[in-house]
Amino acid sequence: MALSTHTTPSGFNLPSIHSFPPFFTEQPNPTTQTTVTNQWIRLITTYARHRKLFILRIEDAETPGSEWDEILRNERINRRLLPTHLSNIISAMSAKNLVEYEPPKQTRSVLVYWRLPEEWAEVLHDWAVKTGQLNSILTFYDITDPQIESALTNIPVPLLRRAIAILGKTGRSQIIAIPGGEGVRFLARSK
Amino acid sequence: MALKRYTKSIDGSIPVQALLYDEEESLTSQDAVGIYDRSQKSPNHQNGTITITSHRIFYVDAQEPENNSFVLNLSHISQTEYYAGLFKSSAKVTCHLSGTPTSQSSDTQEAAFDSWECEVCAFRNPPKLSLAAARVCELCGIPRSSVPVLPHSAPLSTSLPSSSLSLSASLAADSHNSRKRTEITCPACTFLNYPSLRQCEICGTDLPKAKGELKSAPASRPLTPDPDDDDTPRFIRLSFRKGGDKSFYAMLKSSLKNKAWEERGSTSQQTKADTQTLDRNAVSTPGISGILRTVESSTQGRDSDMKDALQDLEALMSKAKDMVKIAAELNEKLTAATTAAADVSPNARLHAQMSGSTKEEPEEATFIRSSLSQLGLQMTNAPVTMDMMKDERNWLESLAKELSKVLQGSHQSNRNVENSNAGGLMKTRGIIALDEVWGGWNRARGVALIPPSTFLQVIPILPTYTSPPIHHRAFTSGLNVLHTPPYSHKEFSATIFNHLMEFESLTLNDLASSEDGESIPSGLLSEMMDAVEVDGDICRDDLAAAIDGGSSGTSAEIRWYLNYFNACSWDGQE
Repeated sequence: MALSTHTTPSGFNLPSIHSFPPFFTEQPNPTTQTTVTNQWIRLITTYARHRKLFILRIEDAETPGSEWDEILRNERINRRLLPTHLSNIISAMSAKNLVEYEPPKQTRSVLVYWRLPEEWAEVLHDWAVKTGQLNSILTFYDITDPQIESALTNIPVPLLRRAIAILGKTGRSQIIAIPGGEGVRFLARSK
Repeated sequence: MALKRYTKSIDGSIPVQALLYDEEESLTSQDAVGIYDRSQKSPNHQNGTITITSHRIFYVDAQEPENNSFVLNLSHISQTEYYAGLFKSSAKVTCHLSGTPTSQSSDTQEAAFDSWECEVCAFRNPPKLSLAAARVCELCGIPRSSVPVLPHSAPLSTSLPSSSLSLSASLAADSHNSRKRTEITCPACTFLNYPSLRQCEICGTDLPKAKGELKSAPASRPLTPDPDDDDTPRFIRLSFRKGGDKSFYAMLKSSLKNKAWEERGSTSQQTKADTQTLDRNAVSTPGISGILRTVESSTQGRDSDMKDALQDLEALMSKAKDMVKIAAELNEKLTAATTAAADVSPNARLHAQMSGSTKEEPEEATFIRSSLSQLGLQMTNAPVTMDMMKDERNWLESLAKELSKVLQGSHQSNRNVENSNAGGLMKTRGIIALDEVWGGWNRARGVALIPPSTFLQVIPILPTYTSPPIHHRAFTSGLNVLHTPPYSHKEFSATIFNHLMEFESLTLNDLASSEDGESIPSGLLSEMMDAVEVDGDICRDDLAAAIDGGSSGTSAEIRWYLNYFNACSWDGQE
């Protein structure tokens, strides 16, 4: 079978499996379905990292035009991922701690951990060190929408809180109440 | 004199109710009644109570009830008149009498009417008016005729009223004396024995049977000749001195009209005429013997009914056999005809053999054969049944042989019938649902149908009697099929695999239109594909996942591919 990779307009290199029609159908054979699901998980996290996408919703599979269209749909072979199939993939990802339901207690929208919260904590601390903002008080907005675009631009606040909390455990961050909201102060690694 | 001739004396000190027969019914009574014998007053019967029953009129005298009372059978009354009374003359009812006077036949009659003891069950039968009833024991139904007739003395040994009844001829002034007269003198010791004894109480000598023989006067004397000639009217009058005449007369009329005694009387006549026939007649015989006879006759009836029913069934079976026979003959004739034709032209036959079919067989014959097979009569031998076999194993084996013929056709005679429907159910099909096989088999058998349980027992041993072997296969959905080797799971998977290697993908329609799957229902195909899919060598693409087009999700829109997922490695962006 001659299947080939394909590069999307956003510059993402789709794997050849994405051109295989059965890839978009839920397989009745559980073994086959596990393989298919693992391929999808890898595709979703890779694509999220490529596009820096944090939120994946079931709606993205229901209607065209979302930022996930490049992987959830394949116009070349006339196939799309059905919402039920996506829902099953998401629950499989949730079981592997690769996503977090956001907001909690529902299953239609998730945070995709294309980096683990621990990794995000390190990224955040490194960014603070690099930009020389240790010991100064920052608002969440300062982090999510800095003047110079960083790796943390557009990071969802819940993910940011988790990262800060992880840093707090090692004494490298402090949540400070400031007028009109909350602030955070990053500290140098205690020696 | 009419009074004397037609009435019987009774002991009036006994209440009238005690003197009644079983079937007799007391209707009304009236006191202060006088009796006229014809037109003259009867001196002894001037003040008494008169009682009317359904059968008789009782007169019980007020002054001397023991001696002057009498009874008159209503059957003797031929006509009645009513006189309302005038001034000092009281109301009177005149009864005209006719027929044989009671006294002449009284002795024999009374013997029958007495109470008697059944010799079988010792039941004391009460006196009955009618002879028929009196002849048979009320309790056990044994006829009295089997009992030797009691000696004449017997009535005397019974109760007081019957003893006086037996001496009805005299108007009973001497009923007390009569008892002494009937005592029997022993011929040896001259002891006066009690009348019912057969042997002397003192010395044991046999007593003479006829009582009173030693007496000078016979017990029942001939009647005094009737001074009146027969042509003179005979009647008695009842004079109602203190009224009550009207109600009495009404009762008398209705009693005479009902004629309660007559029914019994007619029965008794019949009984006298043919006691034997009556005994055999089960319906009218009461008692235990009657019940036994009824049971016997009903058993006989049931037997004959059953025989009739079985005869019907046998007739039906013989008809069915005939039909099978005719079918077999027809089949033989057809075969003979075609072989004869083939023999005539050996070249043609050779040609036929080489081409693998006989073109000579006329279409009509084929049609007849196919019709026969549709009727389930195609087989020349009759279907195997349980009772032909010795044990269950043989039975199942022969069933398997039979089933293999049904499925694959018979091997012996199929050279000529290659083209016909005799090829069996699986002639053109490699796979067939179990229920269809069962239905087809039973249709072919026609009689002695195979239950599903037996059918399932036959299935496991079927492969040993079929060539190519036919196996059973159960799908996960619960569908059961019989199939030839090409349709086993392994073979079928391989076929599908090769097909996919060649054509990349495959749908049910592709499969159904391919020559292998021609006669296989798509439902069955999808079952088989599902089974192949379970192995994980193929995967599916549902058209429901298409961006444009069908989303109904039916099985026809599923396309199978080889399982590429296992083979491919990640070649996308890291």
